Amino acid sequence: MSKKVLVVDDDPDVRSFVVTVLEENQYIPLVAQDGVEGLEMIEKEQPDLVILDVLMPRGSGIRLYRKVKTDEELKKIPIIMFTGIALRSFLKSQKALDEFKGGEVPKPDVYLEKPIEPDELALAIKKKIG
Amino acid sequence: MEIKKLLFVTKFEDLCYDALNSLLALRKASLEHVVFLNVIERDKVAMQRGSGYLKEEEVKLKETANIRFIDWAENLFELGLEVGAYMEVSTLIPEILKVVDKESPDLIVIGHSQKGALEQLYAGSDVTELIRRTEIPILVFKHRIEDNIVPEKLFERPLFATNWSETGQKTIDYIKGMKKVIGEIHIMHVVKESALKSLDTHDVQKVRKVERKRLDDLCDELEEMGIHARPHVYVGDPQKEIEKAAKEYQASMVILGSSEKAALLERWVGSISKNITEKSIYPCLLIPGKKDI
Repeated sequence: MSKKVLVVDDDPDVRSFVVTVLEENQYIPLVAQDGVEGLEMIEKEQPDLVILDVLMPRGSGIRLYRKVKTDEELKKIPIIMFTGIALRSFLKSQKALDEFKGGEVPKPDVYLEKPIEPDELALAIKKKIG
Repeated sequence: MEIKKLLFVTKFEDLCYDALNSLLALRKASLEHVVFLNVIERDKVAMQRGSGYLKEEEVKLKETANIRFIDWAENLFELGLEVGAYMEVSTLIPEILKVVDKESPDLIVIGHSQKGALEQLYAGSDVTELIRRTEIPILVFKHRIEDNIVPEKLFERPLFATNWSETGQKTIDYIKGMKKVIGEIHIMHVVKESALKSLDTHDVQKVRKVERKRLDDLCDELEEMGIHARPHVYVGDPQKEIEKAAKEYQASMVILGSSEKAALLERWVGSISKNITEKSIYPCLLIPGKKDI
C-alpha cells in the first residue's frame, strides 16, 4: 500500500515540485499551506512522513515541528525539514524555545536546505519510509 | 492589552531590520510572534504594452523579498520568536487588511520615510486609509532626517497626548500592556486657545488646575502599574504643542488616540493625528477608535 506524505509549504511552486516528486515515486501526496492547516492535516491523516517548510504564515514550521515532536501520538511521524532557513538558525530557535518553554525536542530526521534536485528529495524520502 | 503579535509591513526602502530590532524590546513585555508583509505593487508587474504581464519580474521581486525575510526570520527564530511572512502582488491596504484578518495582530507597523518619493507612498493616503479601516493600533515608523536611522530605544520616553476621548481609555489600556518596556512616559493635554478666550486669569488657572488634576490621576494610575509617568499641561494649537513637547522631553515616539467624532467628521482620525503622523519626525503610535466595520 502506498504511503502518505504530507507537504506543508506556503509556496505553491514548492508544493507542486514536491507533489510531482512524490507522485513519480508512488507516494500519496497530501498538501497544507501553513502551520495551522499542517497540524490539522497531521492529526486527521496521520501521514507516514511530513515534509515541512519553516517560514510560513499562520504558524511556522518551527512551532509545528515542536508540537508534533512533543505529542505522544504524533512524535513517531518522521519529519523532513525542507526550507530556506539555515539549520543553524533552526537549532538555535529550538534551543531558545527549550529554555523558554521547557523540555527538549530531538533534532529533525533530515534537514534539507532549498533548493534541491528532485532525486535528492526522492532519496531522502526513500531513506526514511522506504 | 498586550502586544503578542505584530505585523511588520515593509517595502524594504522604508522599514528595515534596524526598525524591527528596535521593536524587539517588546519581547520583555509579551511579544511572541512577528509577521512580515511585503506588498509588491501591481504596477511593477502589470501588463505593459509589448511585454504583457511581467511574470519574471514578479518572481524576481518575490524572491528578493523572500531572501530578506529569511535573513530577518533567522535572527528572530534564534531569539525564540515565532515568525511568518507574506509576499503578495496586490494593493497595499486591502492586502494589509487581508493579513490582519488571517493573523489578528495586536500592532501594525508601517514605514514612513522622510524622503520625498517614499513619503508620498506611505505617509498620505495609505496610512490615512489604513487607520480608517482598522481597529488595530498602528505604529508609523520614521527615519530621522539627519542621519536616516531609527531610534534605538523606541519605548524609552513615549509622549502620550490625550484629549480625554473614549479612545484615550483604549490607549491607556494599551500603554499598560507595554509596562515592562516603557522607561518613562510623558502624558500631556493641550488646552486649545479657543477654550480660554473669554476667561480671566483666575479661570485660566482653574482650567489648568482641573486638567493637571486629571493628568495627575492618570499618572498615579500608571505609576501603580509600575510605569513612571510625568504630566504636562500645554496651551495652544494641539499639533504645534505636541511637537513642542516631544522635542522638549526628547520623546522616543508620540502616542495618539483617535477621536471617533473627528473620524466621522473628517473621514480620518482627526486632523491633529493626521498632521502629526504625516509631518512629525517622531514615530507615531496611533490607537484607532471602535468602528462599525
